[in-house]
Amino acid sequence: MGNTAGAERTISTFCHGCGAAKPRCGILCHVKDGKFIRVEGNPLAFNNLAYSRTSLCAKGNTGMQFLHAPNRLIYPLKRTGEKGEGKFQRISWDEALETIAAKLQEVKAKYGPESFGILSPEYWPVLATLGRRFLNVYGSPNYLHSAICATPRNAAARITIGFSNWATDDFEKSRLIVNWGANPENSAVNQGQPAAILNAIEKGARLIDIRPMLEPLGSKAHIWLPIRPGTDCALALAILNVIIGEKLYDHDFVRDWCYGFDKLADHVRQYPPEWAEPITGIAASRIREVSRMMATIKPMFLKTGNGIGDQATDGTATIMATSLISAITGNLDIPGGYYAGTLPAGPPLIKIKRISTLPERLPPDTADKLVAPESPVWYQKAGYWDGGPTSAYYKGLMSVLTGKPYPLRVILASCTNPLSATRNPRKVAEALKKLEFLIVMDLYHAPHVDFADIVLPACNDYEHSHQIEIRNRPEGTWIGIYNKIADPPGECRSDWQFFLDLAVKMGYGADFWNGDIEEFLREQLEPSGITLEELRNSPTGIFVKRTEPPPEPRYRRYTELFKNLPHGKVQCYNEIIGGKLNNDGSGTLPYLPTYQGPPEGLAQTPELAKEYPLILSDVHADRLCQHSFFNDIPYLREHQPYPWIRINPATARKYGIQNGDWVKVESPHGWCKFKAEYFEGIPPEVVMTRRGWWQSCEELGLPGYPYLDGGSEVNNLYNPEEKYFDKFYSQMPKQTLVKISRLEG
Amino acid sequence: MKKRYGFYFESQRCIKCWACEIACEQWHGIRAGTVKLRKVMEVTTGTFPQVTRIFLSVSCRHCANAPCIKACPAGAISQRSEDGIVTVDSGKCIGCRSCLEACPFGIPQFGEDGTMQKCDMCLERIAIGQLPICVATCPTGALHWGTLQELSEKALRKSARKTAAAILTAWETEGQENSCS
Repeated sequence: MGNTAGAERTISTFCHGCGAAKPRCGILCHVKDGKFIRVEGNPLAFNNLAYSRTSLCAKGNTGMQFLHAPNRLIYPLKRTGEKGEGKFQRISWDEALETIAAKLQEVKAKYGPESFGILSPEYWPVLATLGRRFLNVYGSPNYLHSAICATPRNAAARITIGFSNWATDDFEKSRLIVNWGANPENSAVNQGQPAAILNAIEKGARLIDIRPMLEPLGSKAHIWLPIRPGTDCALALAILNVIIGEKLYDHDFVRDWCYGFDKLADHVRQYPPEWAEPITGIAASRIREVSRMMATIKPMFLKTGNGIGDQATDGTATIMATSLISAITGNLDIPGGYYAGTLPAGPPLIKIKRISTLPERLPPDTADKLVAPESPVWYQKAGYWDGGPTSAYYKGLMSVLTGKPYPLRVILASCTNPLSATRNPRKVAEALKKLEFLIVMDLYHAPHVDFADIVLPACNDYEHSHQIEIRNRPEGTWIGIYNKIADPPGECRSDWQFFLDLAVKMGYGADFWNGDIEEFLREQLEPSGITLEELRNSPTGIFVKRTEPPPEPRYRRYTELFKNLPHGKVQCYNEIIGGKLNNDGSGTLPYLPTYQGPPEGLAQTPELAKEYPLILSDVHADRLCQHSFFNDIPYLREHQPYPWIRINPATARKYGIQNGDWVKVESPHGWCKFKAEYFEGIPPEVVMTRRGWWQSCEELGLPGYPYLDGGSEVNNLYNPEEKYFDKFYSQMPKQTLVKISRLEG
Repeated sequence: MKKRYGFYFESQRCIKCWACEIACEQWHGIRAGTVKLRKVMEVTTGTFPQVTRIFLSVSCRHCANAPCIKACPAGAISQRSEDGIVTVDSGKCIGCRSCLEACPFGIPQFGEDGTMQKCDMCLERIAIGQLPICVATCPTGALHWGTLQELSEKALRKSARKTAAAILTAWETEGQENSCS
């Protein structure tokens, strides 16, 4: 790498601590004698949505430990033992790629191209571009999307108010922020939101935090509603009941821009706060108080998150209802309210070419062949979601066991651990065992690797230079490229390179730059006039400062925002999905947001609650790991050494559980062990944990924990029956009832 | 003393993300689970549902008349006359821990070699005009660094702004019109 001994130099690249899909912070890696020794934020990369700031989160500060991680996969392997046994033999990349290509050609000829699916961990740039392009050229619609994060919520907002995204930098103008089931101090520490919320509070905005636990941002809130997990739909409907019943809504907005308001008003009459109180655990008087605040303090920004929209039986109805709260209180697209899109930055001063996924290669009706449509096929065909057709991750895997409507034969799992990324690891393991052919490409030997037929070792993002990032903000445009901080160990290849190499073996070279990754990058850079060499050699990326002031934001763009909604209006009565077929064809979707509640709960299943008296759920994100990865990083693991369960001390004492005791946690579906962590900021009837504990940390001498009964994978505890999945976007509930006892020994 | 540098920490802006603590470790090459030159802490009070969580980011406060300096029998700790930064010379330290006993905040740390270690405000960074790494990395702007003069002005400005904001909120709560918003 051309280092002179002793001299310390910096190399610009990106952190991948927040995983596949999240915005990645630009970092400057300090390298001395070829060794990555320390790191700081790149002030030009618009990290934290700020200009000339160097902030990073905890994960961003641990890059050098990613490089020295043990347990990496470093050679291609083929299975020699039984599936699941973990016996492998080293092979060459050529043999691995040829084996995969031959298998893909075989199943395409025998069963049709749709028998191949790619598991998508998140909306990962590699899969969203090259992975999807490969599927399109191959002819399969089965992009197996997680149905667990963001897209279900975005879809529910889009069918209700016409848009889903909102501008983080606009809510500093809010007078009332509602943080509902969102977890930005864990999922997006350095992505603008926590800082913006704190800025708004300093300017006098009030914060209502609606989450089961008193998280750090909740501890700054004026009102914390410790809601029982999975009951947010009931709360949202009760709030609508109060706002409409007390005529506190924005009458002009409702008159001009809402369709079917009277039907909504009739519908929510059945959901008064007194009805919601025993379901949510929140006093009716408190529900009235916050409803009135939401209706009268303007502007209000109501932010929702995974917890309520993407991981509940009635996630779609919940987000339809919360979107309607924002709408009827007149908060859509106003300054400091629910601003649509991002604030205008002005035209990009550097232009690059986006990689096409070649959607035209997929025949128009291929969505009909989806193995397990994530959202209804008619909806996917109507083009509401521009990423292309998707099947649901879990339901797609289950086709292997049920054979319905047909079994997937070959699955590629890259950058995703299906034994933690979705519910019911027991059943998932069965499916992986029965699956004809599993390809795994990953960094580590995670538990699912044992089921693979071919294992491919991936580079982490400090080991390749195959991805370009561009950011356009009011201050200017910045472009950077991933740079190699170290050579990949063994024979690791980047995921980008893998798709090009496989495509060549399949005979798709012409559509995949004939395998030339540099050519692939050059094509993207072409409109910029910047060469690949210039970009790689730039010490902090390339920044072009804006000289013209950015355009002023336009507000209240309702004609434009609602143009794809029936009647050009907010859908209080939803004519997009109402009466139409649901995603598994078992019935039709409702016109109005309707409460279902979790499959198991104190109010929902009182009989079951006699034996299992506590509600359990888990946080989707944690600021010290990324889903089930990075528990091996010593700097991070030190702060959460053991699988934890937060429990109210009063509850714990009732069961003779001391702070720090191992606890056996049993649901009707399985059991796990966690270490009790006393926490006053949680209701006595609720316990919360975190999933994904398979990784050990050698430096600290801390073990990993198995994913089945007796381990610490919380997905093992939830009700996995598909009848409880959301019928619009396949969201899977993550709430159940448990009993707990002290684990001896 | 010409000027004195200090840290100003706003607990109200801290979200217990641990970035400052880990930044300090990685920047100075400190292994996990060993010494802490900066540490994130929490004090939780009350019982459900009336619970208060206070977060702290703690490091050497570079005191005026630092008691650790007087307590050190080896003369290993000193305060720089130009900027008030309290530093330790590990070559002189005899590992007797008198400084720890004297420090009102329990700051001095002792590593594997038994000598005292502490925050030096990232001397090599501030020498080239950069912020200490803990301040540079803080995602919410809870940690500030500067001369005591700058920091007290900043704190005063913030306090005035917060009072103004609280007045606006109070008017809103009372449902009154106001001409400021």
